[in-house]
Amino acid sequence: MKQRALWSAVLVGGLALAGCGSASDSESSSSGESTDTLVVWDWKSGEENAAGYYEQAKADFAEKHPDVTVEFVAQPFDQYYTLLGTAIQAGEGPDVVLFNGGGQIRDRVDALLPLDDYVADDRERLAGWEAFSQDGQVFAVPLTLQGHPIYYNKALYEQAGLDPENPPATWDDFVADCGTIKTATGADCIALGNKEGYGIEFFLSAMGSAVLTPQEYDAWIAGDRDWSSPHVKQIFELWKAAGDTGLNNEGANSTAMFNDSFAIFQAGEAANMIGLMSDIGHWKDFNEFLGAENVGVMTAPVVNPEATPSLPYDGGIGYAVMNWTSDPDLAADLVRSLSSTEALEAFYADAGAIVSDTTIDVSDAGPAVSTIVGEIQTGKQALHVALSSQTLELIHRLSQQLLSGSVTVDDAVAQLAASDQAG
Amino acid sequence: MPVGGSPPSAGSVSTTEPFAAADGRTVDDRSGPDGSRRARSRARDWERLAPYVLVAPAVLIIVGLRLYPLLLGVNFSFTGDGDRNGEAVGLDNYLALFDDPLFQQALRNVGLLVVLLPVAVAVPGLLATFIYLRVPGHRFFRSVYFFPAVLSPVIVGAIFNLLLAFDGPLNTVLGSVGVGPVDWLGDPDVAMFMVVGVHVWATFGMGLVVFLAGFATLDAALLDAARVDGASLRQVIRHVIIPGLTRTIQFVFVTTMIGMLTSMFGLLYVMTSGGPEGSTYLPEYYIWIQQGQMNRPALASAASTILFLIMLVVGLLQLSILRRTGRED
Repeated sequence: MKQRALWSAVLVGGLALAGCGSASDSESSSSGESTDTLVVWDWKSGEENAAGYYEQAKADFAEKHPDVTVEFVAQPFDQYYTLLGTAIQAGEGPDVVLFNGGGQIRDRVDALLPLDDYVADDRERLAGWEAFSQDGQVFAVPLTLQGHPIYYNKALYEQAGLDPENPPATWDDFVADCGTIKTATGADCIALGNKEGYGIEFFLSAMGSAVLTPQEYDAWIAGDRDWSSPHVKQIFELWKAAGDTGLNNEGANSTAMFNDSFAIFQAGEAANMIGLMSDIGHWKDFNEFLGAENVGVMTAPVVNPEATPSLPYDGGIGYAVMNWTSDPDLAADLVRSLSSTEALEAFYADAGAIVSDTTIDVSDAGPAVSTIVGEIQTGKQALHVALSSQTLELIHRLSQQLLSGSVTVDDAVAQLAASDQAG
Repeated sequence: MPVGGSPPSAGSVSTTEPFAAADGRTVDDRSGPDGSRRARSRARDWERLAPYVLVAPAVLIIVGLRLYPLLLGVNFSFTGDGDRNGEAVGLDNYLALFDDPLFQQALRNVGLLVVLLPVAVAVPGLLATFIYLRVPGHRFFRSVYFFPAVLSPVIVGAIFNLLLAFDGPLNTVLGSVGVGPVDWLGDPDVAMFMVVGVHVWATFGMGLVVFLAGFATLDAALLDAARVDGASLRQVIRHVIIPGLTRTIQFVFVTTMIGMLTSMFGLLYVMTSGGPEGSTYLPEYYIWIQQGQMNRPALASAASTILFLIMLVVGLLQLSILRRTGRED
C-alpha cells in the first residue's frame, strides 16, 4: 500500500512537472526555496585558480547579508547549457547563473531578470556590458573580458632577423614576414585549430577591423550586416587564402582549437596565433611556455587602408539572475558581490583573466597584457559575437569547407546571409 | 500478463487470512454463517482484483515514465521554438528538419551505417573462425580481441585522436614508406569511415564472444568429414561453418545494428564533434546539438520523433528476423 502511494506520488509529481504545453516552458514559477538560501550554477567555482575570487566575493556578500547561505554548484562546462536548458524548461533551479556573453545568454533572456535597476552604479566601473545586453536591457554583470588579440612569438621574429618590437602593420608585410620566418626557422605562420570550427570566429573578429571600414564595422554590430559587400567577402577570401597558401599549420580542420592549436604556438612551431584574453589560450598560458618577454600582441595587420584596426573584445562571462528567484533584490546583491573590485582583482591575479573592472592595475604582468589592456579603451565588440548561434554553427561548417575547397566564398556568404536573416 | 497464474493466488491466500481474522471479532457477536459468507465474497473480490493491483505498478511506470513522455515529446515536436514557444506550428519543425543539410547528412550517415553493417559483422565472424580453427596463438588472440570492448568510448576516442592526428604516428609511419599524409579526421570523405572503423574495433569483441559461443554448438564431426573429403578452408567456411551458424550470425547482425545506431555518440563527440563540414553527424548528435547548444528543444523533439520511427522500423524488422529464425529451429 505504502509502495503504491509512493509510486502514485512520484507519478503525479512527474506529470505535474511535465504537464506544460511547450517544449521550453519559460513561465516563471516559484522555486519554492526559502529566501535565506541562494543557489548559484557555474563552471568556475570548482577551479583552483578561482578560489581566491570566490572567497572575496563570498566575504563581501556575507558582510551585507550574514544570515543568507550561498550554495555554489559547479557544473561540467561541456554539459552546462544542456543542464541549464533542462532547468529553464522545468521553470525552476538555480537563482544565479554564470553565462558566456553573446549568443548563449541572448538565446535565454526570456528566463532572466533584467538587472538595469540594480547595477546602475557599476556601469562606469565595469566594461563589456554589450555582450550581456538585449534590446537595451542588461541581463548579466560582466566579470571578465574575452577577446581575440593576435599574439606573436618575438623569439621567432628575432631569429628570422626581424624586429620583434615592430610587428608587421599591413597584411602584405605580415605574409612577407611569415615567409622569412618559415625559411629561417621552419615555423608555420599561423597556429590554427578549426576542428570545431572556432578558428573562423577568431579570424573573423581579429581581422574584421583591418578589413571593414569603421562604418561597416559599427553597422555589422548594430545588426545591419551586408554579407555581399566586397569587404565582408574579402575577410572570407583572406581566410581561404591563408589556408591555400600554407600560412596555417597543416591539418587545421582536424586540429582542436582547445588545446592542440595553443600547444602549437606554445611549442614555438608557429609564429602567430589569434588567441583569447581570458581563461585559456591567453597571455598567461603563453608567458609560461615562451617567457613573458617573448609574447607580443600586434594590432591586426591592415588589409584595407580605410580600416582602423582595433582590439575585438566583449564581456566574457558574467552572472545573471533567473526570473523565478523568490527574492530578486537578494540575488542581484549576490551578483554585485561577485563583481566587486576586490573579487575581480583576485580573479585577475590568480587566473590571469582580463577582468571587466578597468580600475585594476596590470602593469607587472608583462608586455602582452599591457598592450591588451591599453587597447581596451579603443576596442570594439567582436564581429562573431553579434551572430546567432545558428549562424555560428553554419559558419563553423562553412569555414571547414572553405579550407578544403568544397564551397566557394560567394556560396558561403550567400548561405550565411540567408541564415543571418532567418535568425 | 500472467493473470490467474500461481503467484497471484499465493498472494491472495496470505491476504485473505488477515481479512478473516479482522472480521472474526464482529462475527462472534452476530450470526456466524452470515459473516463468514461476507468474508468469503470479499476474498473473492480481492482475488478478482489482485492481478490488476499487482500489475498496476509496472503498467503505471510504463505509462507514466515511458509512454507519456514519448507522447509529450511528439506533442512538443508540433510546437515552436524561441518566439513561437508553445504555439502550435503544425509540421514546420519537420519541414525545417528535412530542409537542414545537417539533418540530411545525419540520415545519410544512418544509411551508411546500414551499408557497413555486413563488414562490422564479418570482422568478428572471420576472426572467431580463425580462433575456432586453432590458428597458432589462438588463445592469446581470444583475450586480446576482447580487450577493447571493456574500454569506454571516450578513452577509445582519445586514443585514436592521437593516433589519427595529422602529425600523429599513423601519418608518420605512412610518410616513412613514402605515402603522403592523410587528414584522417579532417577530410569529410574519410572521417565517417574512420569513426565507424574505430567503433567496430572497439566493439567487435562482443560479437566475437557470441560467435565463439555459436561455434561451440557446431558439430565437429561435420568439419572433420569436410576435411577428409579434401575441402579447402574457403569451402569449409562457405559450406559448413556459415550454414551451421545462421542463427548466431543473425543475432550478431541485430545486436551490432542496435549498437551502431545507439552508442556512437561518445566516439563522435570525442573524435570529430560532428565535423569536419558536418560529415559525421548522426541523428543522436544532431538532437543533442539542437537541444543543448542551439536551444531549440521543439526541433530536437521532432528529430527525436524521426529517430524513434527509424528505430521502430529497424526494431520490427529485427524482431521479424529473429522470429523467423526461431521458427526454423
